[in-house]
Amino acid sequence: MSEEIPSTLRYTEQHEWVRDDGEVIVVGITAFAQDQLGDVVYVDLPTPGAAVEAGQAFGEVESTKSVSDLYAPVAGEIVERNEELDDRPELVNADPYGEGWLVTMAPADRTALEGLLDAAAYRQLTEG
Amino acid sequence: MDDGLRTTALTAHHRAAGAKLAAFAGWSMPISFSGTLAEHRAVRDDVGVFDVSHLGTVWIEGPDAAEVVGRAFTNDPARLTDGSSQYTLCCDEQGGVVDDLIVYRLAAERFVAVPNAANTADVVAALTTAAQGRAARVADASTDVAVLAVQGPRSLEVADQVLAMLGAAGTPATDTEPLGVATVEVRGAALLLCRTGYTGERGVELLVPGEVAAPLWEGLGAAGAVACGLGARDTLRLEMGYPLHGNELSTSRTPYEARLGWAVRLDRGAFRGREALVAAKERGPTQRLWGLVADGRRPARAGLAVRRPGTDEVVGTTTSGSLSPTLGVPIALAYLDADLGPGAQVELDVRGPPTDAEVVRPPFVTSDPRT
Repeated sequence: MSEEIPSTLRYTEQHEWVRDDGEVIVVGITAFAQDQLGDVVYVDLPTPGAAVEAGQAFGEVESTKSVSDLYAPVAGEIVERNEELDDRPELVNADPYGEGWLVTMAPADRTALEGLLDAAAYRQLTEG
Repeated sequence: MDDGLRTTALTAHHRAAGAKLAAFAGWSMPISFSGTLAEHRAVRDDVGVFDVSHLGTVWIEGPDAAEVVGRAFTNDPARLTDGSSQYTLCCDEQGGVVDDLIVYRLAAERFVAVPNAANTADVVAALTTAAQGRAARVADASTDVAVLAVQGPRSLEVADQVLAMLGAAGTPATDTEPLGVATVEVRGAALLLCRTGYTGERGVELLVPGEVAAPLWEGLGAAGAVACGLGARDTLRLEMGYPLHGNELSTSRTPYEARLGWAVRLDRGAFRGREALVAAKERGPTQRLWGLVADGRRPARAGLAVRRPGTDEVVGTTTSGSLSPTLGVPIALAYLDADLGPGAQVELDVRGPPTDAEVVRPPFVTSDPRT
């Protein structure tokens, strides 16, 4: 189940995915990450408008057993948070690359996206 | 790949089934199969099965068996009849809790104790010391015995169905009283059927020889019992307010602080820790274990500071916490200063702004394992 790594996305070493939608990027956690976490019961996300640095802890995802920090994949501004997760945090498990997305961001420097892992590199990370 | 961890008779089964395994008290144990929340619901609404073979199995046999049990533990084995059990504590000389466990009386000269994995050696040592110079034998059978806990509203019927399928002869689960224990023969091997559990639901714990574990596990699964891991076991016991050794119970807490004084019988002869417990009871606890229900959705966790509302004054610490899968609210167990009790308002330091919480008397959910 954790082999699911869409080739169209970029990834971080913290097991987050990034989709480039042009103006904004969409950020979520990977299928591998949600599987490792177990059932997600609470998601704490940054407020839209917040400026974040690359690698900054900007939220938390909590499962029945643990708390994990979320990290900004690149520097930029938070545009939207997925409010649906306030009531249905389980979407992170059910659909990590779709309805379980976390935030959208306006990257400060779009070239930073080039520094993220591609699907092959991320697969290597999860299999390492 | 097990890093020296002990495995149960079913570990290979669990791995093949895709379970998440983790180290627990020196054992490689399944933490979850289909997911903790689904497993939790299965036990509350239907039936689930747990491999809890890491639990110890210790026999105490001989003419002085009852006396040995009585000297090693805090509850009074004289209150037991054949085929019954009691919750009891193993305390040290200072009255601290070494372990909490169930003791079953099969016959006047035959008892079996089921301690926690991490404390089995200490419990065996306490029993062995108590047996010195007495006509009783203490035998640790933990390695050879698998323990399957079948729990949930439909557990007894499912257990009976599967035991019958395996050709079992003996008292069915449905005819065994809550807290009762019966011996059942399966394929020439003796199996103990105990009407006990740690989930708050009706159920049985089956102590079986290792070779019977696999057919039993498979049969239970085929009959509809959902495979459950220790993650669900933890959220289920937390919703009932049952203490967990290592979280709520330790040698630095007395039974009175844990509100387990009912499992300490001082109206009888000597047992380990008795003098310290008499003094502790007279002194009264400075803190007591209560439940907390917090606002919001952020799960409570162990080790959080509990404060008097609007102040920095720390009045307690949480020992376990989660989001209650049944209620959808954050719940915790916490040691609180003795002036606080059910109905009191406190603040919980759940990272971020302080969260309001109310002190309650567990269980958090209404469930009666005796029904």
